[in-house]
Amino acid sequence: MTNKYIGSRVKRKEDPRLLTGNGRYVDDIKIVGQLHIAFYRSDHSHARICNIDTQAAKCSPGVIDVFTEKDICEYYSPVIAQSRMKNYQATVMSILAKDKVRYVGEPIVAVVAESRYAAEDAAALIAVDYEALPFITDPKVAAQLNAPKLHEELDSNILVERSFRRGDVEQAFWKPQVHIKEQFRFNRKTSVAMENRTYLANYDCTLNHLTLYSSTQVPGIIKDALSDLLNIPGNELRVIAPDVGGGFGGKTSLYPEEILVVLLARKLKKPVKWASDRLEDLTTTSQAFDELIDAEIAVDADGKILGLKAEVIGDVGAYSIYPWTAGIEPVQVISFLPGPYKIENYDAHVRAVATSKSPTGPYRGVGRPCSTFVMERLIDLASEQLDMDPKEMRLKNLVQPDEFPYKAASGIVWDKSGFVEGLNAACDAINYDELRDQQARARDEGRLFGIGISTFAELTGIGSRISASPGMPINTGTETASISIDSTGSIVARFGVASHGQGLETSLAQVVAEHLNVSIDSVRIIHGDSDAVAHSTGTYASRSAALGSGAAILATRALNVKLLKIASILLGDEEENIFIQDGFFFNKNTDKSLSLKALAKAYYSQMGSIPAELKEEIGDLSATKTYDPLWGTTSSATHVVALEIDRISLKVKISKYIVAEDCGQMINPLIVEGQVHGGVAQGIGAALFEEMVYDEQGQALSASLADYIVPAATEIPRIDIEHLDVELPPTLSGVRGMGESGTIGAPAAIANAISDALAPLDQYVTELPMTPERIFRLVQAAQNPSS
Amino acid sequence: MKPAIFDYEVATSIEHAVRLLSSSDNSKIIAGGQSLMPIINFRLLEPSLLVDITRLPDLQGIKSTLGGGISIGASTKHHELETSLLIKERFPLISDAMKHVAHLAIRNKGTIGGSLSHADPAAELPLLMLLLDAVLHITGPTGLRKISVKEFLVGALTTILEDNEILTRIDIPSLPKRTNFAFNELSQRAGDLALCAVGVTISMSSGMLGRTKKIKDARIGLMGVNDTAIRISEAENLLIGRSSLDSSIIDQVAQICTSTISPNTDLHASADFRRHLALQMTKKTLTEAWEKAQASKTSENQNKENQSEENL
Ligand SMILES: Cc1cc2nc3c(=O)[nH]c(=O)nc-3n(C[C@H](O)[C@H](O)[C@H](O)COP(=O)(O)OP(=O)(O)OC[C@H]3O[C@@H](n4cnc5c(N)ncnc54)[C@H](O)[C@@H]3O)c2cc1C
Repeated sequence: MTNKYIGSRVKRKEDPRLLTGNGRYVDDIKIVGQLHIAFYRSDHSHARICNIDTQAAKCSPGVIDVFTEKDICEYYSPVIAQSRMKNYQATVMSILAKDKVRYVGEPIVAVVAESRYAAEDAAALIAVDYEALPFITDPKVAAQLNAPKLHEELDSNILVERSFRRGDVEQAFWKPQVHIKEQFRFNRKTSVAMENRTYLANYDCTLNHLTLYSSTQVPGIIKDALSDLLNIPGNELRVIAPDVGGGFGGKTSLYPEEILVVLLARKLKKPVKWASDRLEDLTTTSQAFDELIDAEIAVDADGKILGLKAEVIGDVGAYSIYPWTAGIEPVQVISFLPGPYKIENYDAHVRAVATSKSPTGPYRGVGRPCSTFVMERLIDLASEQLDMDPKEMRLKNLVQPDEFPYKAASGIVWDKSGFVEGLNAACDAINYDELRDQQARARDEGRLFGIGISTFAELTGIGSRISASPGMPINTGTETASISIDSTGSIVARFGVASHGQGLETSLAQVVAEHLNVSIDSVRIIHGDSDAVAHSTGTYASRSAALGSGAAILATRALNVKLLKIASILLGDEEENIFIQDGFFFNKNTDKSLSLKALAKAYYSQMGSIPAELKEEIGDLSATKTYDPLWGTTSSATHVVALEIDRISLKVKISKYIVAEDCGQMINPLIVEGQVHGGVAQGIGAALFEEMVYDEQGQALSASLADYIVPAATEIPRIDIEHLDVELPPTLSGVRGMGESGTIGAPAAIANAISDALAPLDQYVTELPMTPERIFRLVQAAQNPSS
Repeated sequence: MKPAIFDYEVATSIEHAVRLLSSSDNSKIIAGGQSLMPIINFRLLEPSLLVDITRLPDLQGIKSTLGGGISIGASTKHHELETSLLIKERFPLISDAMKHVAHLAIRNKGTIGGSLSHADPAAELPLLMLLLDAVLHITGPTGLRKISVKEFLVGALTTILEDNEILTRIDIPSLPKRTNFAFNELSQRAGDLALCAVGVTISMSSGMLGRTKKIKDARIGLMGVNDTAIRISEAENLLIGRSSLDSSIIDQVAQICTSTISPNTDLHASADFRRHLALQMTKKTLTEAWEKAQASKTSENQNKENQSEENL
């Protein structure tokens, strides 16, 4: 079979709709009679609720009703993210705060009104009396066993505790040539999808059926959870994620507002909508990172890593997020810390600590942006002490091409991926040696010019043998495709995955068209709908291309078997003499041919054309298959960046950026490159701009886009990409996941480049984001070493 | 994030606007709405009446005035200031600096009157008008008064305007002959409000009859580093009368500027960082303005030749 679609730069089918403003997002869906919710949210981070006065709000014009937790608690069971992890303490989250509040922005009262305006007018009339409780905002303090507890029923604020150990770390750290010990901090950030979280629930009383339109990445997970929490049979509930304007992990969790719209639609028998505004989205959508990492590395005189140690505290905010749990980010920091390197001796310990801040959750790259930042900084710090080029030191320690599969210190197994090839390709593409010469000249002129490398590996497209979050009891290892040809001969392929910007309508259509040997225009993709397939968990963790295409291949194979049987009868020859090309079946021996459309019409509509027994055996022209890649596969990349720090403004200007990545078989290079560009842009945000700042009272200070700084097009440089062609992974389609690699590699590469730029001042980076203010402080420290 | 309920009236004349404003004790002018709308959407203000002044013909446009000055109607949009040929000819400093004001979409709505009245300490127009010695026309129930920008700006987001007064017009007198300028701004992203900006103008004497050319007029203004945009007259005076500037004078001037301002610490920059920016950017901007002054030929209309500065 010649590849016609797979690997080609097919223009995205969804773009004309999305780019002309004709996308249909949840808030574009307007159902006659829909009601709107506005929340009264906590302005305390930790306080007991003494009294809630909703009297005035209830009488405000346009208000239908006002709800507190007391009014709704009998209709649902609270949200508890379970895990099989040892030393895990689940939290209990109600929809509206019950008895006490645990973060600023936690919903306390829901006002339902005829318009959002009327609802907000009424919400402004609500009065809540609080009794202040101790602030629990410093995770180091909160981790102490005598600290005030955020959840009284738990033993402590430590929701998750876990260790990884391998080899003899004591021995490794016994008088090594180089011993680096440093504390790193990756501050809190958030997703900032273009579309704020939005939910609309419609209850059809006549059919006793509920539809939730949700701006979610995971309609299947939401359906399963709502069915349990609200005790609704699955066949009375449908969750649709229409066009979704970005997610980045922030839309992979179940949110209180999402449960509430469904609960209230059922109770009020009216459509109910909640569209978060930017303030709500910034402060209540799951946040990211917030890791404090004490790390040590021991290296011998040749630059070989002898051992690695880490003590990590993850500030996970007020609740253990559903379904991922509070372990999702912090545990993966130590799972992935050894990175693509051969490290025999490893000792790492992590605690996920609850604080009175917004909950954190999965964010594009999960754990790995932090682990890569730390590991790559350690390597650069060590190579500097050894006076060894950082590239050289990486080459010495990377898992070599003949050493795969390699079991990393934390137990992750890397299948063959282009670790060394990626480092070499990126350095060649950026002309590394020449760049070092250029740097030497710039330094002679007194300029702060830096070059930074980061090399990393991630596990993507994971199957049923590993959970997407440690110990989480939901199946994230399979995906289903259901492809059918109807009586008019047209093809519909249904998937459980849910594109929210990744272009799955195009890449999955490429796979289906390729394997059915039909035109891509004849394939319609349905996704983001819990009715599409019987079970799915959606789109996250760089899984949809790998799992979705695998399921599509299995389904097309099964469908092709059926089609061939029918074609052989209709064309009057053995199956081996029939082939299909561009939507037509041909008989090799005769000049007879048959279009897919004619075949479908004949099959479904011409009585007697196919023997009844065969028809019974074939059933309709459809196939539903589930794919499980079991372990998943390794994706890897190297980023190299050259940048300069302006001496006056202390702003960073990136002059060159290169990514060399191994994502196996590309379905669509345009989409792959778009994902890399977008990911790197977001990684630049994490490295230089974005920070969710809380004060010691737990107030979110960067709660608007004037204060939470996301990079705009003007801040993003040209990004060049090298695709590696190393060896196809064992996934069915040969695809490795690649949706997250940009955000994983960029912060580390930039941190290294800034450190390199500041080397003449003897300063380096241990904290991100590196804002001009933080660079200023490093420069100051260089000038007044005493203070 | 929806505003509380309010009434909205479109004024048909300045007098009508003043009457409308006086008719309620919680009224507010709305011009481009680019600063006001976020404020009322956050319910930081809940005016009961908004009086729209953007359709008043008297408040529109840029006119030439006698002696080479201009007069700008308060509802003139940022984009018009940025692109006006008259401004480019007479006050290229404005054309240059306007590029730093927000983004095109905002410049298509925001007005000079709105920016001055909003009085953000990090906004360009208050600084520009301060540098250019603009005279502001303010109309209220008792008629028209004219005041300087320095008197107008009281503090961060505070002016001397009464609730029922309107800033109607901004007059900018001509600059002395042989004026050169430089303007530099630093913001986190293109289009953000400034962490610091510095504007400098230098006007030279004619140097006729073999006399050495000297600095006849010098202006130094900073913003983003103080409660309001600020002129540093002590530093300006140090420059006047000089025929050359060496690095020690430039350092001294920058030091004076830095010790005169009183910057804030906020999420984006500490007071110390802002002081660093003020010091370094004053040096840079003054040096650039001086280099341009020296490079200029002694032709009559030098403004035309001024090239815009590369920004930071
Ligand atoms: C994302 C963003 C970025 C921005 N960046 C910048 C920037 O970099 N630099 C910058 O300078 N500005 C910036 N701005 C502000 C912008 O320039 C505003 O347009 C301007 O400050 C206010 O002008 P306006 O016409 O929109 O006034 P409005 O928002 O309508 O009014 C502002 C205030 O002035 C009062 N007012 C308006 N006109 C008059 C008048 N004639 N007389 C008396 N009172 C009046 C109003 O009552 C109100 O209190 C930004 C705005 C946004 C949204």
